[in-house]
Amino acid sequence: MQRIFGQFLVLAGLFFGTCFLLRTVDYRSFFRVEELTREAEHNLTELILDQLKKEGSECSSDSVLALVDSIKQRVCAANGIADSSITLHILVRDEVNAVALPDRHLVLYTAMIRYCNSPEELAGVLAHEISHIQHGHILKRLRREVGVSMLTALAGGEASGEIVRQTTRLLTSSAFDREMETDADNSAVHMMAKAGIDPVHFADLLFRLSQEKMNVPKRFEWISSHPNTQERCAKILKLRKQEAYMIRPILTAAQWTFLKKAIGTMRTEGS
Amino acid sequence: MPPRPFSYTPPEHEAERASNSYLMSLVVIMVGLPLPIVNVIGSGIYFLANRRSARFVRWHCMQSLLAQVVTLPVNAAGLYWTLAVVFDRASFTNDYVAYIITVVLFNIVEFIATMVAAIRTRKGHHVSWWFFGPLTDALVRG
Repeated sequence: MQRIFGQFLVLAGLFFGTCFLLRTVDYRSFFRVEELTREAEHNLTELILDQLKKEGSECSSDSVLALVDSIKQRVCAANGIADSSITLHILVRDEVNAVALPDRHLVLYTAMIRYCNSPEELAGVLAHEISHIQHGHILKRLRREVGVSMLTALAGGEASGEIVRQTTRLLTSSAFDREMETDADNSAVHMMAKAGIDPVHFADLLFRLSQEKMNVPKRFEWISSHPNTQERCAKILKLRKQEAYMIRPILTAAQWTFLKKAIGTMRTEGS
Repeated sequence: MPPRPFSYTPPEHEAERASNSYLMSLVVIMVGLPLPIVNVIGSGIYFLANRRSARFVRWHCMQSLLAQVVTLPVNAAGLYWTLAVVFDRASFTNDYVAYIITVVLFNIVEFIATMVAAIRTRKGHHVSWWFFGPLTDALVRG
């Protein structure tokens, strides 16, 4: 019996020893995993952005971009995220929406800025989308819902325009799964608190959106695909109590008024 | 104590059956690659069908079955991990690649050992593997 046990130990040792030795090799670098993923993500994002820009022009006002970007900077800096790693786009669109894209791009629709009652609410939206980016939710979801082979075709420019449109539609019109949304909400609360922004504003915005989506679901796509908004608000408020933060204003009243006014003058083509 | 050699030269039909137990595990490898449990089921059925055969046949059926039973969790873990990577429940890490290479190496070794055992038992020679041989000795009596 001792002999059997001894030989088993040698066999198991050989297996795990081989495994242990083999894991010292950096296969990810060898297979250029990061490089290829980055390249594919970049190509994919270019296609999606092109599609989005066909549906709504990009905001050309430098002052509007600078003000919104300053909110993004505030959230990123407080949370140890390189601000320059996330590219912000503002599109002139009538839907109240914000979208996180692959390759760390964040798209905000002008209607969302117009809908926010304060820069803090806007910070909540940005923090939520930045959380999706930080957690790598976008590619995970695309891999799951579009499929790896289709994504490879898209990134390689081999997919048809209809597939690009459908992928863009998927990213802009439906929510992440419940687990991802919860992760993004939790992280957003934490990020806001660290940036000195009261997370209650994020809950307020979600609550207001959930009330309005019943009347015009198409216009409120950012929230209309989330069936459990009230529950989300309650969780945000609960988490808020666990955070210690000192509130600091984001934009001055004059800056916010200017931003709203500038956004108010932008209209989509045909409206 | 070394594995007990057989005190007789197995006749042709015993050598053929014993050899077939290894061939069985090779044949079901085709199906067993995506579904490792199929290997065990195949070898298990063959062992049961021969449980009243001569000791030489039973002994080799058992050794073949034990090898499959030990390989099952190793391959199943590899399969589960691969599916998790494909369906994005796990990342493509260096640990994953190292594990898969190890599993493939051990399966190749097992494949070669099984082929050698099939050929040698067909000629009536006794083949006892490291660990599996002594374990089979302990399990197959009479």
